[in-house]
Amino acid sequence: MNLSVKIGTAVFPNPVTVASGTFGHAEKYFDLEEVKKLGAIVPKTVTLLAQKGNPPPRIVETASGMINAIGIENPGADVFIAEKLPMFKKIGVPLIISVLGHSDEQFLALIEKFNKVDGIAAIELNLSCPNLKHKVLVAQDPASTERVVSQVKKLSRHPILAKLSPNVTDISDIAAAAEAAGADGLSLINTFTAMAINTKTRRPVLGNLTGGLSGPAIKPVALHMVYRTAQRVKIPIVAMGGIRSTNDALEFLIAGATMVAVGTFNFVNPRAPLEALEGLKAYMKDNKIKDIKELIGSLQI
Amino acid sequence: MEKIQNKFRVVANEKLCPRFYRLSLDAKSLVKAIKPGQFIHIRVKDSLEPFFRRPFSVYRANKTADIFYEAIGPGTKILSEKKKGDELDILGPLGNSFSLPPKGTKTVVMVAGGIGVAPFLIFSDSLKNKGYDLILLYGARTKGHTFNMKDFKKNGCKVYVATDDGSVGVKGRVSQLFSKIPLDPKTTFLYTCGPNPMMAAVQAFAKENNLAGQASCEEVMACALGACLGCSIETTGGYKTVCYDGPVFDLQEVKFH
Repeated sequence: MNLSVKIGTAVFPNPVTVASGTFGHAEKYFDLEEVKKLGAIVPKTVTLLAQKGNPPPRIVETASGMINAIGIENPGADVFIAEKLPMFKKIGVPLIISVLGHSDEQFLALIEKFNKVDGIAAIELNLSCPNLKHKVLVAQDPASTERVVSQVKKLSRHPILAKLSPNVTDISDIAAAAEAAGADGLSLINTFTAMAINTKTRRPVLGNLTGGLSGPAIKPVALHMVYRTAQRVKIPIVAMGGIRSTNDALEFLIAGATMVAVGTFNFVNPRAPLEALEGLKAYMKDNKIKDIKELIGSLQI
Repeated sequence: MEKIQNKFRVVANEKLCPRFYRLSLDAKSLVKAIKPGQFIHIRVKDSLEPFFRRPFSVYRANKTADIFYEAIGPGTKILSEKKKGDELDILGPLGNSFSLPPKGTKTVVMVAGGIGVAPFLIFSDSLKNKGYDLILLYGARTKGHTFNMKDFKKNGCKVYVATDDGSVGVKGRVSQLFSKIPLDPKTTFLYTCGPNPMMAAVQAFAKENNLAGQASCEEVMACALGACLGCSIETTGGYKTVCYDGPVFDLQEVKFH
């Protein structure tokens, strides 16, 4: 049975990974023999400089999901590379490094830093970032997406994934722009802008007022966005958005995703990615599928 | 390596007073591993609502691993309906633990508010017969939040109770009981767990009297593994996660809001 998939020049032993920001401290808490089975690990987004994050409360539970406004708390690229990356490398699973720049220059500075680092499989650009000359985020504007991705592609020695926001009219327009700019793959979707109100105090629940909705609540929408995008572009898609089970993973693969990431559901069931992988293998065996590529984009209409 | 996620059976789930329940789990591996002050993260139901697991301090780890909780929200209400033999999916033990009192400590004072009393039974289990004077100051809203504290007394704790309405013990906040705290910084060490305004009062009292101590904090948690950074609180050293950096912090380190 062949489960391996490719994104650009990067090869992953299987299509199951974790979404950025949902996996941490593997060395301390997990049976590493199990974690080693994952197709890739995506650590939390790294910015050029350290970010202290948003004021609490940072999360709120919703029906079948959660809203978060963490604020990309992270130690900055230099500290990440010096202190966190060695631990992730030790796991021995391909690493996809998620980066966010607050300007084109910051994205390029991040790429330069990671060009000097060995042992990473790919870079994921978190494009849900401010876009200086525009009111919208980079991921909300095809031209800005193309501008950032094309500059990054010229500089990076690693394959580049563009992570897209669902807070747009048509995500496939942004996807096409990223593809035209040379992206090796796409990650979709990021969270939906959302909020919750404390009716006792009539104040927002989150310290940041708004946050991003994730979890099973968004899965059907994510599935449609992945399907629609897969119809439009040729580059591989890493799908995320409420994936929690084998069946979810299968749906996204059939819709056209090359890889699937469990995100928010890691918080409920840390073994969910591994269970999805086991279930995927069983499904392939039961259906006599020898290569995962037979499954990808196999939707019958 | 010990697995962190396991399924354990409920041995008992008993209502100890109108508001509080004690749930016991047949969980030998937890009992062996747990340190006083640590918590477990329980999936109360195999469904998408409530969505998050719920974190609970361990109340006692003797033959069974026990938690002590108030049935107050959707998660704890479901938990209160669990019967003997039901299985629960549990992550744990998680977080850091209470430090032992520093050398020279004679009096250990635990200041608890409501269900914040939970981590102090297992802690007093670990401190009994070690030559400390153990004092528990317990503040609760009303009689319905007070319970038989014989397990604390058996551990040698002197227990003092205050209720907001005076239905049990002294009338008023737990701060009414601060007069029971020996004011010698060399020999008194404080531990506190409860609502933030109460812990803020303990912090202010400690600062005024130059007493040191630790606070066990609570926040809404998603992963409880230090991954999501959702349960961060403000400290003098910046934001720190309650689940991974805590739940136990230096008393003066936390900025209570």
